[in-house]
Amino acid sequence: MNEPAITAKDLAKSFRGGVIAVNGLDLTVPRGSVYGLIGRNGAGKTTTLRMLMGLLRPVRGEARVLGHDLWGAPRSLRQRVAYVSQEQQLPAMKCTAELCLDLSRLHERWDFILAGKLAQRFGIRVDAPMAALSGGDQRKVAVLLAFAAQPDVLVLDEPAAGLDPIARRQLMEEIVGFLGEGGERTVLFSTHIIEDLERVAEHVGIMDRGRMVVAGRLDDLQLGMRRVQIIFNGAAVPDGFRVPGALRTHAEGPVLTAVVRIDSEAQLQTLRAIPGTRVADFPLGLQDFFIELLDRPQADPPLYVAEISTADERR
Amino acid sequence: MLHFQLNVHSGVPVYRQLMEQIRHYVASGVLAAGDALPSIRELARALAVNPTTIVKAFGELAHEGVIVIRHGRGAFVAEHQPVWPAARRRERLRALAIQLAVEARQMGASDPETLESLRRALADLGESNQPPSNHS
Repeated sequence: MNEPAITAKDLAKSFRGGVIAVNGLDLTVPRGSVYGLIGRNGAGKTTTLRMLMGLLRPVRGEARVLGHDLWGAPRSLRQRVAYVSQEQQLPAMKCTAELCLDLSRLHERWDFILAGKLAQRFGIRVDAPMAALSGGDQRKVAVLLAFAAQPDVLVLDEPAAGLDPIARRQLMEEIVGFLGEGGERTVLFSTHIIEDLERVAEHVGIMDRGRMVVAGRLDDLQLGMRRVQIIFNGAAVPDGFRVPGALRTHAEGPVLTAVVRIDSEAQLQTLRAIPGTRVADFPLGLQDFFIELLDRPQADPPLYVAEISTADERR
Repeated sequence: MLHFQLNVHSGVPVYRQLMEQIRHYVASGVLAAGDALPSIRELARALAVNPTTIVKAFGELAHEGVIVIRHGRGAFVAEHQPVWPAARRRERLRALAIQLAVEARQMGASDPETLESLRRALADLGESNQPPSNHS
């Protein structure tokens, strides 16, 4: 297996006033994959991406992109990485065509044809100054510029924020198109729009309070997490009844529902065989899983679920 | 292009949803033996899903024998559809039958009515996908 495109090990960042934004984060983005990063507001996603991009210095740990720390990395390496930040400030008086010209001098692989095609597709007038464009259109320009640089690694911080549904769909299609055939291009993006992630991401990382609480392949996560409902024939769930592998359990009257990590089909068979019950299990969408995982009082310690992987990938 | 209905929130991996729908198109005769499937690139773009998802769906369907992948030419519906192993068939049929039985009772259909409806649905699929009768 070749070297991952992006790695972070024990990455940490605190700001003045003692705010700990990122607290011992581990992250691995395989080369040629699409990785979606989700988490609640303030989970530390943006700070993480900024450290990966070499724009913020971590207080601890290391961040590597294409094998290098981007902090102080030479331009030859930096131009292989494109980053669209959340509050992209594009020069107000420049138009898209001028920005393309400026950037083409910094990026050897600059693709003017792609830039033109994307402008047309996104409905951007290339001669309009940024000041004349809406926030959503400026965002599209920022994305267009990132694509046209033809980077090996594309990092997008909430690229879909503020875009209408059609523009969002176009953006997702372009990300898919960007991946191309070679399988060498890597995309890391953060989002609150879980549907986008479920469409294009192969890997997903869920952050909570500066740490990665779940990371793994999306397929494995979807197949490995289920909502299980057990209806007892009596009036109530028996005292002390526990579902093995349950992350969260909720009992009301004779009905117990749990979010369960399923490691094998045998585990489900065991559940179905509990005498005096009716057992049903349901797939758990990422959105529901996210809510089950993170909708808990802030005072509680973070729930650490760790890596999810299929048995054959385990070593 | 054929329509594929993805429900990305359902928690069922997209590649599995695609496999299910391609199987359905094949079983119902919409896709016939030898028909070409859309290319990986076309499908990925049209559905706005990762190409690796399509690759995975096609790969598993090819493994099952539903489709064949001809290198450089794309994916095609297999000439002979696979017959599932009996145990797996029974398990899957049972799940589907329970679903049909529950919904039929719930809407007040009589049992003969339900069975007749199933018989007619099978007849409507025609003979093309009817497996040889001596298999077990």
